[in-house]
Amino acid sequence: MSWEFRVDFFSNVALGFSVALSPTNLLFCFLGTLVGTLVGVLPGLGPVGAVAFLLSLTFKMEPATAVIMLAGIYYGAMYGGSTTSILVNIPGETASVVTCLDGYRMARQGRAGAALGISAFGSFIAGTFGVIGLMFLAPMLGRAALRFGPAEYFTLTLTGLTLVAYLTQGSMTKALIMTILGLLAGSVGMDPISGEERFTYGNLTLRDGFGLVPVAMGLFGIAELLENLTAIGPQSIYETKIIGLLPNLKDWKDSGWPIARGSVIGFFLGILPGPGPVIASFVSYAVEKRMSPYPEKFGTGMIEGVAGPEAANNSATAGSFIPLLSLGIPTSAIMALFMGALMIHGIQPGPLFISKYPQLFWGFIASMYIGNAMLLVLNLPLIGIWVRLLKTPYTILFPLILLFCLIGVYSLNANVAEIIIMLIFGVAGFFLRRLGFEGAPFILAMVLGPIMETSLRQTLLISRGSFSVFYTRPICATLLVLTAAFLIWPLFRRRKNQIGE
Amino acid sequence: MKQSNVAISLILIGLAGFILLQSRNLAFGSLRAPQTAFFPTTLATLLLIFSVILLAQTLLGGEIRRGPDKIVAEGWVRIGGTLATMVGFALALERLGFLLTTFLLMVLLLRAIESQRWPKVVAIALMTALISYAIFGWLLGIPLPAGVLGI
Repeated sequence: MSWEFRVDFFSNVALGFSVALSPTNLLFCFLGTLVGTLVGVLPGLGPVGAVAFLLSLTFKMEPATAVIMLAGIYYGAMYGGSTTSILVNIPGETASVVTCLDGYRMARQGRAGAALGISAFGSFIAGTFGVIGLMFLAPMLGRAALRFGPAEYFTLTLTGLTLVAYLTQGSMTKALIMTILGLLAGSVGMDPISGEERFTYGNLTLRDGFGLVPVAMGLFGIAELLENLTAIGPQSIYETKIIGLLPNLKDWKDSGWPIARGSVIGFFLGILPGPGPVIASFVSYAVEKRMSPYPEKFGTGMIEGVAGPEAANNSATAGSFIPLLSLGIPTSAIMALFMGALMIHGIQPGPLFISKYPQLFWGFIASMYIGNAMLLVLNLPLIGIWVRLLKTPYTILFPLILLFCLIGVYSLNANVAEIIIMLIFGVAGFFLRRLGFEGAPFILAMVLGPIMETSLRQTLLISRGSFSVFYTRPICATLLVLTAAFLIWPLFRRRKNQIGE
Repeated sequence: MKQSNVAISLILIGLAGFILLQSRNLAFGSLRAPQTAFFPTTLATLLLIFSVILLAQTLLGGEIRRGPDKIVAEGWVRIGGTLATMVGFALALERLGFLLTTFLLMVLLLRAIESQRWPKVVAIALMTALISYAIFGWLLGIPLPAGVLGI
């Protein structure tokens, strides 16, 4: 590490803390983590829906304040999700599903306090590790990406979208169809190059394309709420006494390595396109089970099964910011919303982002340190309140969430048509989800669509219609080989399964 | 699930055909200079291909998985009622104003999902309308429609 680099690095960190510690940013960081925890605790509204909803409220904020608050919601939800998994066996969000396996068992054995405590400490340690990784890796990748041309950007988005479709649970054909539908939805509105209108049919609302917020709120918020309406039964909350939230020495001894491994696994899986925190938590659980001398005891209340996945999903949240901030490519639905939040303020994330907006980047990084510490302090004493909140009947909670969705979308542009768009996408999302079509590839493709189209058309213009540029440039060729592998691999896997049968 | 998959495949094939037809009204350009219709036409063609693949997989038995749990009649009523209430909210918001529409929305939703006692419903609806008006209108400064009440 050269002397200049070190001076630069520390002055940037100092700059970041000066931004994050301003009273306004501190307040919104706190609000973000609080709302995030709440969203994580309550089943029915995931972090994507919550960020989409609050996006409209950030228009009047400074860009740094907006991003700090939204990030707080994201990693706050990861913290909060584990609380319900452990106490009531209901994962508040998908990344905490695996925590139910051992966390809930621990609670039934009277060890809820230890499970919640190790989950909070593990999340804090992993979250901090993730932020440090982000701090080092994002600027490096950003510098490398300066050499990217439109051909590289096109292949990068293509690979990213294919990988998301590959990682989606269920049918890959359906995931690819959702990706194509998302790209088509992204092409509604003005042509990004010529400015000519497409598929707007004279509608003023559609001139700027489908809004990200109404579509995301529809696909993730309304669709999920409608799904919950299909069966509302009496809620049974398991009454458990929480004794002592501090894990004992043996708990720490058992959890130390799982937290360390979970942090590393989560961070690197978070960088990859797809639902990083979800995959990270499952991979971490599998790794811990494989490395344990007592794999058969997993699922009966092993603290390693809580510590590893909880660390992994928090570390992954930090990792998932890397492609967005350094390449300008969102890799998940929630990152697409972050991109939207930045672009509303006229800020384009990408290779020049860190050098052009150092205050924003470093302020955001510093706020994540502070936010993680806030969550640790906030979550442990507030666990009782979260549990009480869970007992609120869904029949009262549901209309309130719905009302917030409606107001949130209307407040974007004071336009009723956007409420209708949200409802249309909500109904479509509800039926599509029931048929095995997932929303994440759609929303990601919708955001990446204009980038992909512009880069493809620019590439063809420069190469005079020749596709050779895609296989003569090393980065493009490598990415195309990867894309082909993701597309072909499921076919081989199916064939192998058939032979096996 | 098989019937639903066939139905959705056919809808998607129809959608792809519709986009291809609509794209003909726009300039396609050439590979050397692609224009407005280039990207949507390519995507609609891909959509057509993958929809046919899905249809073939379904008919040949490769894409048959257990469908989701059936929705009981009561569930459909709740979903229909909720959607109708939300559409009503969108249509009435600028005419009746935020306060009144929100109050009515809450009353209808609280009654539609699970029939609750009227005094409780009215109290929750009134409180929600006033608190949300205070938060969004005053605190966050979002311009909310005044409507017939004039506030």
